[in-house]
Amino acid sequence: MIDRAFSLGIYAIIALVIATFGWIIGDVIIKGISVVSWEFLISEPEDAGRAGGIAPILVSTLYVLIIALVIALPLGISAAIWLAEFSQNQSHTLHVGIILDVLAGVPSIVYGLFGNAFFCIYLGLGYSLLSGGLTLACMILPVFIRTCESGIRSVQSDWRLGGLALGMRRSVVIWKILLPAAQPAIIAGLILSIGRATAETAALLFTSGYVDRMPESIFDSARVLAVHIYDLTMNVTGGDETAYGSALILIVLIILLNTLAQGFIDSWFKRSGHYR
Amino acid sequence: MSLVTRIFTQRAHSSQLSRLFCLLGVVSIAFLSNLSLAAERLTLTGSSTVAPLALEMAKRFEKNNPDVRIDVQTGGSSRGVNDARVGLADIGMVSRALKESEQDLTAHLIALDGIGIIVHSSNTVKELSRQQIIDIYQGKIRNWADVDGPNLEITVVNKAEGRSTLELFLHFFELKNSQIRPQVVIGDNQQGIKTVSGNPGAIGYVSIGTAEFEHNRGTPIKLLPMDGKEATVKGVASGEYPLSRPLNLVTKAQPEGFAASFIEFAQSTDVLDLIENQFFVAP
Repeated sequence: MIDRAFSLGIYAIIALVIATFGWIIGDVIIKGISVVSWEFLISEPEDAGRAGGIAPILVSTLYVLIIALVIALPLGISAAIWLAEFSQNQSHTLHVGIILDVLAGVPSIVYGLFGNAFFCIYLGLGYSLLSGGLTLACMILPVFIRTCESGIRSVQSDWRLGGLALGMRRSVVIWKILLPAAQPAIIAGLILSIGRATAETAALLFTSGYVDRMPESIFDSARVLAVHIYDLTMNVTGGDETAYGSALILIVLIILLNTLAQGFIDSWFKRSGHYR
Repeated sequence: MSLVTRIFTQRAHSSQLSRLFCLLGVVSIAFLSNLSLAAERLTLTGSSTVAPLALEMAKRFEKNNPDVRIDVQTGGSSRGVNDARVGLADIGMVSRALKESEQDLTAHLIALDGIGIIVHSSNTVKELSRQQIIDIYQGKIRNWADVDGPNLEITVVNKAEGRSTLELFLHFFELKNSQIRPQVVIGDNQQGIKTVSGNPGAIGYVSIGTAEFEHNRGTPIKLLPMDGKEATVKGVASGEYPLSRPLNLVTKAQPEGFAASFIEFAQSTDVLDLIENQFFVAP
């Protein structure tokens, strides 16, 4: 009897979670679908975003994301390898880990203020895609490092020892055995990072800016999708319709990017002949 | 693992690495070589109320002058004043008149905006006197029943520090922000409308043009008259409605070059339709 009530409760909770998720997605799709068209994707915004499309905003979003990932991925994986494999001093690892956890919990607006003060003003990059990308890289690094690190750590020691016993170099063990084994964690970290970066508003409003023109270089200020949606809903009168359209595009974009990222990492490991 | 395969895998490994670094290098060079040198740049920062209007004006100006790029950034009027003063921006956007302490800057009027008191449309209150509004915002009146309304608790919606709507509101009612007891603090206009339309007991204040537009498309809010004058865009244009504010572009010195021609353009008749589209009133 108690067991049945328990499993019933679990099912109810799952239904609730799915319903909430479905409601949000459904709401965005129903209100956004009428705005979305090919024209919407390839034209420039007009009348403060109420009319026209989102082409420059999509391009800027991708720019910022690419910059953030190009910087954060190599740094993140290397840092994770160091934390999991190389750092000898336990208390160092612990301290770095705590710092990373704290940084992962810092609200994004704080990263925005830091990015504005450091990249925009101190380094003189101004409001630009580069400042935005660098700020985002700082923001996603802690979570990414932590996920990759725990992935590498969770690989059984037998595999490391086996590799070394076969005379493989340490770098080869890491590259050929540990990283492929940690691949699911790396993908999870990447997906978390992409999601967080693409949906970021607060940090980007003060680093990459508000300009909705097509960017001509990474030193141009440009508006990303999340900032565009925020401005349309909170600041522009009568901007709700296009805001819903943009939100729908944002959701599709995140799904698309996650699939791509997964495929990219899969093929990367396959091409270099890893064993799984 | 035989020696051959070991060498092979190690070579594969290093070529994999170098390929990755090549890719990174190419990407970063492609980015850096993209340095834009062509255009002359103007930067505007400040009031989020003015920003969409300035952005539209800037677009039209860029169309007429293809070798200029105008960057519009938001952040509030205080920031517009500050950035124009220290030179971070060529032009600041300020949605109020300049204060005594800001007389080192020059204001260029581009439009007018009225501020209206809004309540939920189900609220039966028809009008509030100045004193009643002051008492509500100070927390002395906590229920709509005290001002001939329904028996419903009042939710006071106030604007965040640094917003010129707040400063104008405080100035008009001779209040200090520390005297106000708000339940909700908001930033931009549209956020105020969403807060009030979702809460039958709420009272807030937003740009009249915005409120009028939202009211006409069926959002459940209504504008209360002020000193017996209807809160309408027309009332702001004729100067009858008392609670209105100027939208200014401010510069540190007398503007020169493209800054001067942009300000001139923003004050010309070429942008009247843009001002109207953003629900403001041309001066």
